Amino acid sequence: MNARTSGTAAEALEAADVRFGQVGIANVRVRNADPATLRAAIELRVREAPALFERAPVVVDLSFLSPQPDAAGARALLQAIRDAGMLPVGLAYGDEATDALAHQLELPLIAKFRAAYERAASAQPAAEHATHTATAAAPTPSAAGEPVTALQHPHPVRTGQQVYAQGCDLIVVGAVANGAEVLADGNIHIYGALRGRAFAGTAGDKAARIFCSEFRAEIVSIAGHYRVFEELPSSFAGRAVQIWLEHDKLQIDPL
Amino acid sequence: MTETIVITSGKGGVGKTTTSASLSVGLALRGHKTAVIDFDVGLRNLDLIMGCERRVVYDFVNVIQNEATLKQALIRDKRHDNLFVLAASQTRDKEALTQEGVGRVLDGLQQDGFEYIVCDSPAGIEKGAHLAMYFADRAVVVVNPEVSSVRDSDRILGLLASKTRRAERGEGAGAQHLLLTRYNPVRVEAGEMMSVGDVEEILGIPVLGVIPESEQVLAASNSGVPVIHDATSIAGQAYTDAVARLLGEDVPMRFIDAPKKGFFKRMFGT
Repeated sequence: MNARTSGTAAEALEAADVRFGQVGIANVRVRNADPATLRAAIELRVREAPALFERAPVVVDLSFLSPQPDAAGARALLQAIRDAGMLPVGLAYGDEATDALAHQLELPLIAKFRAAYERAASAQPAAEHATHTATAAAPTPSAAGEPVTALQHPHPVRTGQQVYAQGCDLIVVGAVANGAEVLADGNIHIYGALRGRAFAGTAGDKAARIFCSEFRAEIVSIAGHYRVFEELPSSFAGRAVQIWLEHDKLQIDPL
Repeated sequence: MTETIVITSGKGGVGKTTTSASLSVGLALRGHKTAVIDFDVGLRNLDLIMGCERRVVYDFVNVIQNEATLKQALIRDKRHDNLFVLAASQTRDKEALTQEGVGRVLDGLQQDGFEYIVCDSPAGIEKGAHLAMYFADRAVVVVNPEVSSVRDSDRILGLLASKTRRAERGEGAGAQHLLLTRYNPVRVEAGEMMSVGDVEEILGIPVLGVIPESEQVLAASNSGVPVIHDATSIAGQAYTDAVARLLGEDVPMRFIDAPKKGFFKRMFGT
């Protein structure tokens, strides 16, 4: 700072501060160009975890759509997200066309995601693998480039608490109480009783699974396919189970 | 060395104040200089249970707002020279409590050489309950053997692990103890009430004591003499055991099994 800034300039500067800070932000990868389908998908997410997603700022990634939508199409998609309860605040970096689109929509282009794409592009030149690489390259790559494989939570999850493993698996050592929620973009492993709610594959990964050593859940969900347990089926109540998705149907089997 | 113990539960009416009174009397009886603070500003009860309601001149809020000194506000117990009560204010609400003010009062008690500070938390998870637990080194979670009380206690245990000064400093949650009150072994046996084992399994923390349901508890509350004084009551004896366990002694649990019916009772009924 220049200490000799004239009085008026200093006063003018006082009116506002510009600070840099890091914020975590969710990234919505749009895989379907139909606004109604998108809206339904987002609504489901918001309903599953309102505390996490309701009015959550999100960066919208349109790079999985080909062809890329035009300005009108993109506006309809953004409106669909807004209608479903999330607030788009920018576009994720794609290519020059995305840049041009961002200008037309008067939205910022968030370049933070750029590194992930460039790495993905160099490692996997074939476009059809884009989905997989993007999933692997997780929304929160650490500075060292080490992939985060799992979030470990070595305590019980108590009533009213929520634990979310973004972009990775979740391992809970202890019980998940009634009224507690555990969420993961990947698999969920619970070494203890699951009495609350568990949502695996929250970013859409249908291969995600839930494992627990004592099943007494209220709700389980994988990639948005959920099941509510008003009554626990006696065949696996209190037993160690795994839960997975087969042909979009939840399967539960004792381990 | 001062130890601050919060008596909390989430749910109301489970016996926090009764427990605060009896545990603090028990600690004083064992020779420890003890203060018990009522955090339930606006709904003060501890002074009634402790039998000092007519001697409250200054209260906790007066001290926090620097309208009285700690010395003026501490009420010495009639029976024990080393036990003091800090009453809640009846005319204010919980907004009168501040974190800085509560911290100052607790520091003052520490400087006065108190060994134990028992904080009687209000029900709920709002400001009063938050401040009662914030400075605690240990917590006694009072729970009735029924599902809603157990769930609220679970919520409180979560807050104890994250919303206390210890947790904020990364020192981890302090010791947490479970105290079951209104326990009725006969109803447990009949499957109408959760057992000690059920509650312990769900909450996953060790049980400090089980206080059996007893008519003497209500009688003691009404007469302003904490039930621990009544050596003939099983609830009083159970609190004495709990105090011993709080001090690290290994005492077997009593009063958790239904009394066996004798031969004649079995033959002819009760």
